Amino acid sequence: MIETPQGNLQINGLSKSFGGFRAVNNVDLEIRKGEFLTLLGPSGSGKTTLLMMIAGFLDISAGDITLDGASIADLPAEKRNFGMVFQGYALFPHMSVRDNIGYALSVRKRPTSEIKARVDGMLELVQLQDFADRKPGQLSGGQQQRVALARALCFSPPVLLLDEPLGALDKKLRVEVQEQLKDIHKRIGTTFIYVTHDQEEALSMSDRVVIMRDGAIEQVGSPYELYEHPTTKFAASFLGKSNFLQRPDGLYALRPEKIDICGVDSAGVGPIRLTGNISSVTYFGSMQRVIVNVVDGDPIEVDVDSWRNKQPLTEGMKVNLSWQKGAAVKLSRD
Amino acid sequence: MRTSVFASINRVWAWLLLLFLVLPALVAIPVSLTPKRFLSMPKGDFSLRHFEKLFNSADWLSSFAQSAIIAISTALLASVLGTLCAIGLWRVSSKYSEVVRAFLLLPLIIPQIISAMALYRLWIPMGLLDSYSGLILAHTILATPMVLITVSASLANFDPKLEQASKGLGASTWTTIRRVILPSVKPGIFAGALFAFILSWDEIVVTLFISKFTVYTLPRRMWNGIRENTDPTVAAAAVVLIGITIILFSISAIAARRRAQTTSG
Repeated sequence: MIETPQGNLQINGLSKSFGGFRAVNNVDLEIRKGEFLTLLGPSGSGKTTLLMMIAGFLDISAGDITLDGASIADLPAEKRNFGMVFQGYALFPHMSVRDNIGYALSVRKRPTSEIKARVDGMLELVQLQDFADRKPGQLSGGQQQRVALARALCFSPPVLLLDEPLGALDKKLRVEVQEQLKDIHKRIGTTFIYVTHDQEEALSMSDRVVIMRDGAIEQVGSPYELYEHPTTKFAASFLGKSNFLQRPDGLYALRPEKIDICGVDSAGVGPIRLTGNISSVTYFGSMQRVIVNVVDGDPIEVDVDSWRNKQPLTEGMKVNLSWQKGAAVKLSRD
Repeated sequence: MRTSVFASINRVWAWLLLLFLVLPALVAIPVSLTPKRFLSMPKGDFSLRHFEKLFNSADWLSSFAQSAIIAISTALLASVLGTLCAIGLWRVSSKYSEVVRAFLLLPLIIPQIISAMALYRLWIPMGLLDSYSGLILAHTILATPMVLITVSASLANFDPKLEQASKGLGASTWTTIRRVILPSVKPGIFAGALFAFILSWDEIVVTLFISKFTVYTLPRRMWNGIRENTDPTVAAAAVVLIGITIILFSISAIAARRRAQTTSG
């Protein structure tokens, strides 16, 4: 009997060069069984290149990838048994939804009855029972996305790779699909490796996030760790918004919502630390974004919950800024 | 106002150009209906006697059959070879494959009279002169680049991610070609096969060089008919040829429209 792979991926010193350009540079990463791991970074940060090497679509230049202890670096993509959801879905246009989803089982020559039962189960998982006989061209973007997911999961792969799968959807639909994806991940327990440049997606869905920059890992951690304790200026500004304060002992990151704004006389959540004039107020409904010019340093951005704001904030107003001890996080480098 | 004037001038030009291209061929239609026994324009009265002669002549019918066998075989052979070439070049896709592609297109670029001489010289020692296989092979050499071009055009629109998706789902290269790539380039293969059929169906230059008595294709019989006696049966045969070509192209156009409807609807 063949041992079922557990889905524990280990990446050691992985690099990819295109000519002289190092798209991925010496990456070490452990991906635990069943976790939802997101590779987050701007375009050109190497996140998709890294995913393509894991999938087996790109040769690796140096380093190794192991699955449950055995190297898979030399296995071609078709032998790796990883599911993959492509950017733009890459559904087979000439096949019905049913044939698309059952493709992996049918190339493995499984009996027709088994394929039918399995595909029915997948159709139910992604709620497309009524669309089994349609062609991909007759489906909406969100439905195509679900077909792509069902197709990639149909053969129970130990690892599912997702390359910006929600990029083509409009914002409202994206939030909906995010929840569905998270729900499906919870139900089937497959390891998910998810590539995105959207920080909200990364924060709301992942167990752990890998922030990538120029082909290398900038910081790895849970969304909470990364948001509350960024170690670099890049991590702090890429995941969420941040003010940066230069102090004698180094650079600090301070999230806009952790700052309390108050009139010159009233007390804030902590000691008054800065004084300045409001240069602009932008209203977003639940909150307002206030830019305050301070005497010494860059303008400070403050997010104020609308309900807490007893006196109206107007441009030119003189205000005090305060925050609690520990709200500003010391950064190790740029 | 200006644009509509330009548009109507353009339309007139387009029609004139179309007539310029098509009219000479259509001259065969009235000539085929002449009641006279030599090539001439009918004056007032028409006759179907040349069509009657065409369909009752064993020689003409045998030439039709021979041309059909050769053209169908050429279309099949050229489609297989051209499609494999196109997929191979697409998969390798380097600067060397572009050089190879240019070489493969040579039979289209080289003047046919030169191909004819070369094939004649080559077919003599190989014993292929004046045989079905000799003609089919020669026509296949000329027609394969057609298929290469049409299938390559289909592949240019093929999303390479589909190939990755197929492999990622566990399919071997061969399964991927059979189940994903070939269905996607089917329109290109059909178009190429049609061009190959028509090329062989009215090929005369190479055919004159490499056939003599055993194989006597339709274009060859027409050529002789014109050269040796000005028999209007040639015009009747031309009309039948035009008719068959129009039917084939209509079928392919209808098929293309159906396909467009099912994929987008």
